[in-house]
Amino acid sequence: MVMDEGMLAHEFSAPTIKVKEGQDFYLSLTNVGMVIRPDLFDPHSVHWHGFPNAASVFDGEPMASATVNMGATFTYYYKAVIPGSYMYHCHVEAPEHMPMGMLGNLYMESATPNCAYNGAPETCFDVEYPIEIVAFDPRFHEADETIQPLPFAAMNDTYPMLNGRGYPDTVNPADIINKDGKLAQRVPALITATRGQRILLRISSLSTTSFHSLTVLGIPMRVVGKDARALNFPYNTNSVFLGGGESADVILDTSDPNILPGTYFLYVTNMEHLNNNAEEYGGMMTEIRLN
Amino acid sequence: MKTTKFRQSRMILAAMIAFLLLSAMPALAAVEGLVCSAPTCNYDLTAKTDYISTADGGSVFMWGFAPNDTGIMQYPGPTLIVPEGATVNVTLTNELSVPVSIVFPGQTVSATAGGVPGLLTSEAMPGATVTYTLSNVTPGTFIYYSGTNPSLEVEMGLVGALIVRSATAGQAYDDAATAFDHEYLFFLSEVDSRIHDLVVRGKMDEVNNTDARPNYWFLNGRTAPDIMAPSYSQGGTWLPTQPYNCMPMMHPTETILLRLLGGGRASHPFHHHGNHALAVAREGRLLGAGAAQGELLFTQTVTPGKTTDATFTWSGENLGWDYFGHAPGDPAYPWETDHGVPVPVQIPDYKDLTIGPFWSGSPFMGVAGDLPPGTGGFNPNAGFFYMWHSHAEIEITNFDIFPGGMLTMMVVEHPDVMLMNP
Repeated sequence: MVMDEGMLAHEFSAPTIKVKEGQDFYLSLTNVGMVIRPDLFDPHSVHWHGFPNAASVFDGEPMASATVNMGATFTYYYKAVIPGSYMYHCHVEAPEHMPMGMLGNLYMESATPNCAYNGAPETCFDVEYPIEIVAFDPRFHEADETIQPLPFAAMNDTYPMLNGRGYPDTVNPADIINKDGKLAQRVPALITATRGQRILLRISSLSTTSFHSLTVLGIPMRVVGKDARALNFPYNTNSVFLGGGESADVILDTSDPNILPGTYFLYVTNMEHLNNNAEEYGGMMTEIRLN
Repeated sequence: MKTTKFRQSRMILAAMIAFLLLSAMPALAAVEGLVCSAPTCNYDLTAKTDYISTADGGSVFMWGFAPNDTGIMQYPGPTLIVPEGATVNVTLTNELSVPVSIVFPGQTVSATAGGVPGLLTSEAMPGATVTYTLSNVTPGTFIYYSGTNPSLEVEMGLVGALIVRSATAGQAYDDAATAFDHEYLFFLSEVDSRIHDLVVRGKMDEVNNTDARPNYWFLNGRTAPDIMAPSYSQGGTWLPTQPYNCMPMMHPTETILLRLLGGGRASHPFHHHGNHALAVAREGRLLGAGAAQGELLFTQTVTPGKTTDATFTWSGENLGWDYFGHAPGDPAYPWETDHGVPVPVQIPDYKDLTIGPFWSGSPFMGVAGDLPPGTGGFNPNAGFFYMWHSHAEIEITNFDIFPGGMLTMMVVEHPDVMLMNP
C-alpha cells in the first residue's frame, strides 16, 4: 500500500511539516526505492535540522545513525519542546539527495497563539508563511538520471526557487502536476494578507551552494527570530542574508498608513537568481498581495 | 534488542589504562599550536613551499608558514597561542620567490623591523627577514595572513590563527559567559587546485585571481576524513604539512568553545548537529556582557577573514525518553529530565537498516547494541556522534568525491568514558 502510493510520487519541495509545541511527533519514513534509477539501493533519512539536544538515533545523519533500506519503514520520534522555524531534509549523501529534491519546510508553533515564540510579543502575527530557499542545477539532475559522475564542485544552480517553485509558479495557489500527471509541486509561496495585518515569514535556506539575500520591496522587514530562537534584539532591515541551513523569522507589519493595498514583491537580490534557467523574470521571487 | 551495558569495573579499568597512556605522552592541548605563556613571546616563521595531501589521494602545492622547531611548512600556519597583554614578536623569513608579509587584523602592530615598505605592511623580500611586534594583545580568536598580494598568497596557504588567552583561566574572554570545558579550532578554508597547479608549473602570470572555483574544502587544513585522523603530535605523522586535526569530544552538560575562522575567500554556513551554539564574540570582540548578548544559532556564518567564538553544550534534556536507557529504579544523573522513560518507537531490525560507521547499534548512550559483521566500529564507547559541517553541501566533497571536505564528527561520550582528546 505505502509502496504503491509512494513510488514516483515525489514532491518538490517535500510536504510542509507543522507541529505544535508540546506534541509528540512521530514521522514514519518508508523507502520505496527509485524506479528511475533501479541500479541505486540508497537508504534515506529525515534530518530535523536544528532540533535542540538531538539524539543521534533520530538525527538522520547516516554516519552517526542507521538509515532505512528499500522496502522498510523507520519511525522517527520527536518531543516538540522548543518552537521555531526549522527545516528538514534527507541527510544521506546530502550533496546529492538534497538538490535532487529531498527537503522541505518544518516549523513548530509555540503554545502562545499567533506568536512565533513564547514571551516574545514582537513575534506575534496575524498570518504566517513558510518560505524556503532551494535551488538546483539541471545538468546535475541530468547526470544523475543518466548515471554519470556527479559534478559537485561545478554545481551551478540555474533553477533558483522558493518552496520548490520558480516565479511565476510561486504565486500559483494550485497544485502543480508534472508531465506524468502526478502531483509534483504542492507548496506555493504566494503571501496574502489584509492591510493592517502582521505577516510572519518563516524563511529558511536549504541551498547547497550559495548564500542568498531576500528583500521585500515596499514593506519594512523586522527580523525577530534567527535559527528557531526569538532574537533578544530584533532589528529593522530591507534584506535578510541566509546561507544553507540558516533560518530567520521576519515580521512584515502592514499597519503603516503609507502601505497601501496592492502587490508587493519578495525576491532574491543575488540578481542572477531571478531567472528560471534561460528564462528571465523568474527564479527566487514571489508576491505579497495585500487586500 | 539485545544490548550490552558497560560495566563499571570495565570502565574504571579502561580509564586507568587511558590515564597511564596519557601520562606517558606529552600533554595534549585541545587547540594545538605554538604555546607561549610568558609576557614576551618570540616566534620565528619561515615562508616556504611544500605539498599537502587531500583525502581523495591528491596532493596540492602550497605556500605556507613553517615554525622553526620543525622547519616544515604547514597548512594552516602555526596557531600562535599567547597570553592576554603579552608583547609578541613574529619574525618572518622568506624562502619564497615573491615578497611576503603578515598582517594581524584586530591587533596593534607597534613596530616592524628589517622589512621593506609594502602596500599593507612591511614585507620580507625573497631571502630576507621582517619582524612584527604586537603590543598588549587583547583576548580572543584572530586570523593572520600575508598582506602581500593576499588574493593569491592566502589562496596558496599563507594564513593561520592567533589565539590570545584570557587572563581568566577557562574562559575565552574576561566574561563568565565565555567559560568552557574543551576548546577546538575550526579553521575553514578552500582551495582551487587549478591555481596551485599553475603556480607549481611556474605559470603564476596565468593565474586569474577573480575566477577561483574551489574544489577542495578544509577544516584545520585537512579534508575529511583526514580531519578525524590523529594530529601530528598525536601520531598522525603521515600528514606532516597538515599537523592539526579536529575531533571535538565532550560529556553531557559540558561546554565546548568553538573558535571559528574564515581562512579562505569564500563564506561557509557551518552547521553543528546536536544543538544550538551561543555565538559570544566575533573578530575577537565580545558581542556584549553576559550570555543574553550572544546569539543562539544552529548554523554559524563563517565569512572570510572573520572569526567567531561560540559555546556549545548538550544535555539531551527533554528528548521525551531516557537516552541512557535507564530503568525507573536506576540511579539518575542530576540533569536527566526523562529518567526511566522508554523510547516510544521500535527501531527496525538491522536487516532493514544501513549502518553508519559511528552507529553503536543502540539508541542509548554508553550502551552498545548488536551490529551485523563488518559494520559500525568507529564508536567503541557507544557515544552520540554529530556531524559538524558546511551546510553548503557541495563543500563536503573532495574534488567531486563524496564524502569529504569540510566535515568532522563531534562525539558526546557517556560520563564514565574518559575523553581521549581532553
